[in-house]
Amino acid sequence: MSIVCACLLPGSPLPYVRRDNPPWGALATAMEQAGEIVAACEPETLIVYSTQWFAVLDQLWLTRPRMQGLHVDENWHEYGELPFDFAIDLELAEAVIPATQAVEVRSKGVDYDGFPVDTGTIVANAFLNSADRYRLVVASNNLYHDWSTTHALGRIAAAEADRRARRVAVVGVGGLSGAFFRGAIDIAEDRIVRAEDDAWNRRVLDLIVAGDGGKLLEAVPAYAAEARVDMGFKHLAFILGALGDRYAGAEVHGYGPLYGAGGAVVTFRP
Amino acid sequence: MSQGEIVAGFLAPHPPHLVYGENPPQNEPRSQGGWEPLRWAYERARRSLDELKPDVLLVHSPHWITQQGHHFLGVPHLRGKSVDPIFPNLFRYTFELDVDVELAEACAAEGAALGLTTKLMRNPHFRVDYGTITTLHMMRPQWDIPVVGLSANNSPYYLTTEEGLEEMDVLGQATRRAIEASGKRAVLLASNTLCHYHFSKEPEPPEDMSKEHPENMAGYLWDMRIIELLRAGRVRETFDILPQFIEEAFAEVKSGAFTWMFAAMGYPELAGELHGYGTVIGTGNAVMEWNLVKAGLARAA
Ligand SMILES: [Fe+2]
Repeated sequence: MSIVCACLLPGSPLPYVRRDNPPWGALATAMEQAGEIVAACEPETLIVYSTQWFAVLDQLWLTRPRMQGLHVDENWHEYGELPFDFAIDLELAEAVIPATQAVEVRSKGVDYDGFPVDTGTIVANAFLNSADRYRLVVASNNLYHDWSTTHALGRIAAAEADRRARRVAVVGVGGLSGAFFRGAIDIAEDRIVRAEDDAWNRRVLDLIVAGDGGKLLEAVPAYAAEARVDMGFKHLAFILGALGDRYAGAEVHGYGPLYGAGGAVVTFRP
Repeated sequence: MSQGEIVAGFLAPHPPHLVYGENPPQNEPRSQGGWEPLRWAYERARRSLDELKPDVLLVHSPHWITQQGHHFLGVPHLRGKSVDPIFPNLFRYTFELDVDVELAEACAAEGAALGLTTKLMRNPHFRVDYGTITTLHMMRPQWDIPVVGLSANNSPYYLTTEEGLEEMDVLGQATRRAIEASGKRAVLLASNTLCHYHFSKEPEPPEDMSKEHPENMAGYLWDMRIIELLRAGRVRETFDILPQFIEEAFAEVKSGAFTWMFAAMGYPELAGELHGYGTVIGTGNAVMEWNLVKAGLARAA
């Protein structure tokens, strides 16, 4: 199996652009820890699935040899720019694209100058790959895909990596509970906006750590609906698909609020 | 300074296909045309806009989505390249526009006074979204009129449709107050598609019009019902059934631009002029105008 590790990261820019704010700084530190664990696994490629890269028609994958630019978040523009510069694992991306036909998903490569790389992918790359050590395969979140299609995409990406004996880390980028503060808050006092969401997030993180796949999968639909989880937790589906629903262990490095929504940093050992 | 006023509102949807079909120099990809009836509709709207001689265009776009409040472009001059994340094959547009920052600030302040969370977007590296650009290009390809760009706060999706649209109504009232105090002649652009059911595959080439038609009949019938009401000036009735239309036709007016525009105009029971209707990848798009000068509700230039 060529998946050397996996991780779940929040895609919010807040820990990256304002790590001086204690609640967000804790998540930044946790993402750096995840980065060290990933580095120790010596992957060649990161396969990134980010909930914030919306696709509607096809399943899109970045196929430009190098993605470079400066992104300004649509909502958090006051906190500055997100520069990015990373290489794509073209061979693997181009292998995955035809392979998704097996589950009747039409995939397409995206190779355009100025293509708007999403905030989540940029933030994940910044924390895991600041030294530009790895190449990336980046998958979009097709809004019409459900849990099982996303799970299948993770599985197919992992299988293609396996076929090439590529050492890969799978990275699911997205949030936990989705309710957030709609107006101004004192950011130093940020917290999960609803106590019931906080309880749900903790329960699900415990299930992830316990490694009881059956119980976890059973809980996800109710969790996704009741806690308004970011994109139905499809980022976890992608990770579990890549891992074949099995892992030897998982560790939570950080959990906290992102303007009222939930975010966690989790690493998985295959 | 005389009182500013809204001189017209346009329903001005933003399928990037229309820019692609036109082949302007700012857009990288080239086409063999396509979607001509909608593009000719915009030609008529352009002529009308020209006669109105506005000082400023205000555009509310569903593709600048914000969660914390209603945001306004707040940088005097913005330039860059905007690539549509959904249709990057069709829309890679080099834009350059002037923002009426003073009016944007006034809109934000009036919104805040009415209880909304509002924010100015001050980052000069900001990439303007393709919805804003497509609507502005189709209405005024010369880019010689300053702009106020408004984000679509996701309240209609995060809250209920009704609660979200109530916020857009307040945003419209705030916009009107700011325009009145500005002394300027303003045109409002609601960048919204009607029925939003679309095909899941793109024809090859995308401008193959033999493949273009409404995605489904129920959605088409809904569009015709809404357009008939608007052409008859039955605005109140339109807004009464708007939540049902949104629900059943998956209408993009859910994102708020249409409500914002009508709230700012005071929901005049005024017959809208249909410049044209057409589908784009199956979605329903109408270019319509409510000319308050012709109706005697605003002064001629
Ligand atoms: Fe749209």
